Amino acid sequence: MAQLLLLHLIAAALAPWLAKTLRTKAFPLLALVPATAFAWLLVVATDVRDGNLPTQRIPWVPGLGLDLDFRLTTLSWVVALLVTGVGALVLLYCTWYFRDDDPTLWRFTSVFTAFAGAMLGLVLTDNFLMLYVFWELTTVLSYLLIGHNPGSSTNRRAAMQALLVTTFGGLAMLVGIIAIGVHHTYSISALLADPPPLDAVTVAAVVLLLVGALSKSALVPFHFWLPGAMAAPTPVSAYLHAAAMVKAGIYLVALLAPVFAGAPAWHALTLGLGLLTMIVGGWRALRQHDIKLLLAYGTVSQLGFIVAIAGLGTKTAALAALALVLAHGLFKSTLFLVVGVVDHAAGTRDLRRLSGLGRRMLPVSVPAAFAGLSMAGVIPMAGFVSKESALESLWEEAQEAAPFPSIYGYLALAAVVVGSALTVAYTCRFLWGAFATKPGVPPTPITVPHPGFVLSPLLLGVGCLALGLLAPFESPWLMPYAVTLPTGASPEPLALWHGVTVPLLLSLVSLGVGVALFAQREAFARAQARVPALVDGERGFARTLRAVDRGAVETTAVTQRGSLPIYLASILLVFVALPGMAAVTQGRLPEVRLWDNPAQAVVGALMIAAAVLVLVTRRRLTAVMLVGATGYGVAMLFVLHGAPDLAITQMLVETVSLVVFVLALRRMPTKFTRHPDSPSRTWRLGLGAAVGAAVGVIALVASGGRTTTPVSVDFPTEAYTFGHGKNIVNVTLVDIRAWDTLGEVSVLVAAATGIASLIFVRTRNTRLSRATAKALPSSNAARGTWLLGGRTMRKEKRSVIFEVVTRLVFHIMLAASLYLLFAGHNQPGGGFAGGLVAGLALVVRYLAGGRYELDEAAPFDAGLLVGLGLLVAVGSALAPLAFGGTILETTAVDFTLWPWGEVHLVTSLVFDIGVYLIVVGMMLDIVRSLGTGIDRQIAEEQEQDEQQQETEDEPEELQTEGARP
Amino acid sequence: MGDFAVPNLLPLPVLLPLLGAALALAFRRSDRLQRIVSIAALAGVVVVAAVLVWQTDASGPQVLWLGAWQEPLGISLVADRLSALMLLVSSVVTLLVLLFAIGQGHADSDDEVARETPLSIFHPTYLVLTAGVANAFLAGDLFNLFVGFEILLFSSYVLITLGGSASRIHAGTTYVVVSLLSSALFLIGIAATYAATGTVNLAQLAIRIGGLDSGVALVLQLCLLTAFAIKAAVFPMSAWLPDSYPTAPAPVTAVFAGLLTKVGVYAIIRTQTLLFPESPLTDLLLWAALLTMVIGILGAVSQSGLKRILSFTLVSHIGYMIFGIALSTQAGTAGAIFYVVHHIIIQTSLFLITGLVERIGGSTSLHRLGGLAMASPLLATLFFVSAMNLSGVPPFSGFLAKIGLVDAGIAVGTPLAWVVVAGGIVTSLLTLYALSKVWSQAFWRPLAEARQVAELAAEEAADEAEQFEQAELDAGRRPRGTTTITAAPTGVALAVDTSPRALPRMMLGATAAMTAVGLSITLVAGPLHAFTERAAADLRQRDPYVTSVLPEQVRR
Repeated sequence: MAQLLLLHLIAAALAPWLAKTLRTKAFPLLALVPATAFAWLLVVATDVRDGNLPTQRIPWVPGLGLDLDFRLTTLSWVVALLVTGVGALVLLYCTWYFRDDDPTLWRFTSVFTAFAGAMLGLVLTDNFLMLYVFWELTTVLSYLLIGHNPGSSTNRRAAMQALLVTTFGGLAMLVGIIAIGVHHTYSISALLADPPPLDAVTVAAVVLLLVGALSKSALVPFHFWLPGAMAAPTPVSAYLHAAAMVKAGIYLVALLAPVFAGAPAWHALTLGLGLLTMIVGGWRALRQHDIKLLLAYGTVSQLGFIVAIAGLGTKTAALAALALVLAHGLFKSTLFLVVGVVDHAAGTRDLRRLSGLGRRMLPVSVPAAFAGLSMAGVIPMAGFVSKESALESLWEEAQEAAPFPSIYGYLALAAVVVGSALTVAYTCRFLWGAFATKPGVPPTPITVPHPGFVLSPLLLGVGCLALGLLAPFESPWLMPYAVTLPTGASPEPLALWHGVTVPLLLSLVSLGVGVALFAQREAFARAQARVPALVDGERGFARTLRAVDRGAVETTAVTQRGSLPIYLASILLVFVALPGMAAVTQGRLPEVRLWDNPAQAVVGALMIAAAVLVLVTRRRLTAVMLVGATGYGVAMLFVLHGAPDLAITQMLVETVSLVVFVLALRRMPTKFTRHPDSPSRTWRLGLGAAVGAAVGVIALVASGGRTTTPVSVDFPTEAYTFGHGKNIVNVTLVDIRAWDTLGEVSVLVAAATGIASLIFVRTRNTRLSRATAKALPSSNAARGTWLLGGRTMRKEKRSVIFEVVTRLVFHIMLAASLYLLFAGHNQPGGGFAGGLVAGLALVVRYLAGGRYELDEAAPFDAGLLVGLGLLVAVGSALAPLAFGGTILETTAVDFTLWPWGEVHLVTSLVFDIGVYLIVVGMMLDIVRSLGTGIDRQIAEEQEQDEQQQETEDEPEELQTEGARP
Repeated sequence: MGDFAVPNLLPLPVLLPLLGAALALAFRRSDRLQRIVSIAALAGVVVVAAVLVWQTDASGPQVLWLGAWQEPLGISLVADRLSALMLLVSSVVTLLVLLFAIGQGHADSDDEVARETPLSIFHPTYLVLTAGVANAFLAGDLFNLFVGFEILLFSSYVLITLGGSASRIHAGTTYVVVSLLSSALFLIGIAATYAATGTVNLAQLAIRIGGLDSGVALVLQLCLLTAFAIKAAVFPMSAWLPDSYPTAPAPVTAVFAGLLTKVGVYAIIRTQTLLFPESPLTDLLLWAALLTMVIGILGAVSQSGLKRILSFTLVSHIGYMIFGIALSTQAGTAGAIFYVVHHIIIQTSLFLITGLVERIGGSTSLHRLGGLAMASPLLATLFFVSAMNLSGVPPFSGFLAKIGLVDAGIAVGTPLAWVVVAGGIVTSLLTLYALSKVWSQAFWRPLAEARQVAELAAEEAADEAEQFEQAELDAGRRPRGTTTITAAPTGVALAVDTSPRALPRMMLGATAAMTAVGLSITLVAGPLHAFTERAAADLRQRDPYVTSVLPEQVRR
């Protein structure tokens, strides 16, 4: 069976190519695919009848219970016959339905073939989850087919409506399936053999399953999607929306009826809604003028009828349901295909404009008549046989009062009679509308259809008759399913003539009433117009959708304010509410030692004061300085804790930050924009205070909760014996936690690139313009100078003293930075601090001499430096591998270097050099971007301003000139 | 190479991209060399990750103590099944997105839009980003996890503001500030954790947190959870995401959407299972999952820009993963892991497709798009399949991931779990609704009709905006900031090309490959699901992880 599905899949995959080369000739070829499946079904027919059910198991996701299990039961055999048989004939029919130059053939062929495969899979699978898989596939493919002509918005809406309604049902069904699967089994055969007890979960699951079935089979209140789906090309309507897909819901009801028909709400949903649908559909069908829509409502009506019978739960009903499925599939696909031919031949489907087609199109009108008689339930058609047995099953129910009280049985019988009468009436309306010669309407001009075009409807129409005549031979093939039902006696075999029985009489009544309704159609139509719509699912759907849209917009307007402060506030609120509250409520606070040294208190107080002042200052620069003050305070605390290393680094970082801020602030207003009386200020203050308090309490709680010794107690000895360094901080940075450092320097690489990106935008590569390159006035160049680049600056910006100091200090700073780098392993310092010092040296050079001086001092690209540094750092991390060590492992190398003497070199120094280079590169990037880059922007803007000034001035001059006599 | 130990591979997913970044910076003037270096580095990571997946599955977690320090002094890198799987998926995604970006660069080279992704900035930064992601997955140390986060965050700051246009700077500000806040909270969490336990090694934390007072442990747990939830974009800390992702260049948004939030999810899974197994916080997380799912998808329904729609679905579907984590059962954790794998791939695909839509249609606003199904059937097919995949339509990975979670939720069966299952189903349906609207308007609707409607909509929107503002003023509220609720097209800018540009082959190829990777999950779903089950079992037992990392004397 998997092979058949695979065949469909391959065909669907090849179809676009076939359609492009063979055009419509691809259809007969593709029709062979379902035909093959049909043939196989015929081959195994006797096996199925005798109970030797073909099965197949292929694991897919065993962990989820989702496997490709197949099993051909009588029920699936019957539906599969319909699916493959009608599928093959409809594909054949498409050969003449589509034009050779239709540009959409490639996708239609593919989607249609895939659909046929999915439909076959749906009825063959023995795994409930797989059933859902195929179920949803048919939904999605049907969506594409309904939207085959997406040019009109109506079609698109109809497609989406069908998609959403059936997916809604499908998802409900999925929950039902999983609820049964989790507690019981996903195997359909196992479920049927050993049904779960009807506890609350199972009953809920069954209801959910039925929601899926009803939505798929277009029962009230989901019925409205099916007429909308008539936007699809007619072959699609014939196949999906009459013969195959809409039968999926019936299939599911029939599948579950043997085990769940006794569940509460089962009969209310199947029989109740089914018969209501039968009447509503028939009623609506009588109001249509488009013969395709008429058939669509007819389908709705019939589907309701079949669901009602399939859900009844007795053996007789089960047999009747199968007969109905077959009969309906045959006559409805015939009629749809006929509509397609008529539409093509006459160019309209409006029954008010069609006239006189019956005689002129006999190859179509004859099968249509067969099918119509079958639909109306006239002897000796298949429709008569099946409806007889359906009435019989209800009559039997009413007599036996099982499985529910007989009053409901009689009510159901009455409903079916009413529904059947409506069916007879709309059948007459259809046949009359499509084929009759109407007084006052001129005969519709037609083009004669190709004989191949009428072949499929003809075969199917004859099938309606044949199946009726062969009714007695039909029963044995269907009976194996009927006997799986627990209730009722063994049913009478199907037959054309059972004698004069109650069902026969009821049939005659409905025939008579139906014909009378048709005869009095104008009066009846007037009566109909006065009755308000019973159930308007479509409007309900539209309303729901609008409500969802509206709700979505309103919710999003609240949650997505587009305001960063609000986003931050919600995060901080969570922080206060969750970890903050947890810390406060956990109860015990440790004893607090306020300080080790009163100086700490002083520093702390200063930091707090600075932080508070940040809130009230209105100048950006002041705010930056104050924030910097808190940073320097942290450095002081490090000093007081005896951590000079950290203090140095912190100081340097603060200094660099200040420089960066100052450089950047040149492009910003000096004062904050602030709404003085903003009400949000109060709650922001409150929230800020709460966050601060929360962090404080968390810190206290956490440090008070310590139960074990920290790992760091081993650092000092280990750093010396294994890391070969006396400076624990440095060993930690370049060795113990060198991996962190490597990460952090790559952060610097990214940050440096980012700064360059923001300023230069398009490239990482900077243009260098050294002071020497600038054409300096030769007279000046002759004289000695402290800083060459200083000449390039405007006079008012120059400071000779600064230039002199810079000249003196620059190389000293560089030397100091190298000292910090090399001494770092044993003394305070390290590559990071060293790099910052070197960077600050460059900053000084820039501040004193301007951008040309900077390029003079560092005549290379910052990106290159950063890249080189990263290369050194990564290289030193990888190097130990070459010597059989671990990545980032350190060794000490002792050797004599003339004239230096004994050298004790620790390999982690190489890593630190990489760090150094990256930091210098990043600093260079900062100065180039925020310094030079912004300088350049300002210069350009000034030039532009000047130019603009000129152009603005010019017209006036012209005017004055022009005004001159 | 004979005695080459597998654990030595562990740093490579970080070091290779960093090496590549260094070389890319060095070769900054040669586009070609930069491309070769980047592709080679990321392809190398894919190979390493594949070996790690195989190795962790065959012989348990792989551990490397860097620098050969005596445990637990140094930093350990650990790859268990979860890490290895995350690594493999993310490396494949980053490689394909790189190819897409390179294709875009090729296509743009003599074009105005060349500024989209300046190569000399993009390549090194992108490589550093992937190094950060890999480091986060491999970190066996809480502080190193933080470092991994910082690496990827800083490079993401650069990438999100690439090109420096006003809208990107604005979006970037939101992103950077929120991320900095999350980093600060994470750091506070680490400090508190170290204060309480005296270690940051995850395996050792697993042991020591068990010895803490449960109230103190809860404080630590909530600190870390809050920090990670911001990164993962869990409601109510998710609003930053749709406001910041959509403006970035297509490949950047794609990789952000696919990967970055999942790093947060990964961190939640890791810390919840390894450090706090006694405190699943099921109810809290279930509520968070429900709200994230439902409010996120309502956001998607309310939008009319493709990028924003996708950003909201991204947030929404994070809820599914949180759902799985919250259940705190093996099936739930496995479901969450499976969903992460699926979601990384599908979100990336969809954003790449969006990049192509923008190229071909000149916009990503549904008001202006139309006729794409005719313009490019291949692109239409890719979008349709991916959209169905994200909506959880079978037989795609989204469906498989979804039933894993629904299954786990129903198995737990508490009323709240049922509610979240229902929420998940509704979310799934609304995802389908939001995406089928996109399909209907951008792909099915003829371009001519789109233009007419755009004109009308512009007029109406102008009226509506006026009324809306008036109503807001009447209600005493300040007019809204940048949130575009209706995303009214300002002015009738109908600059849609009548003759759509041909799609560059390499971009289309990378996108198709990404989609194909997503589809291939369907084929390997059986083994993959079994793998996630084993990964979840490892996580819940904790033993494989702790014993592989720490020698016995440290474990006491």
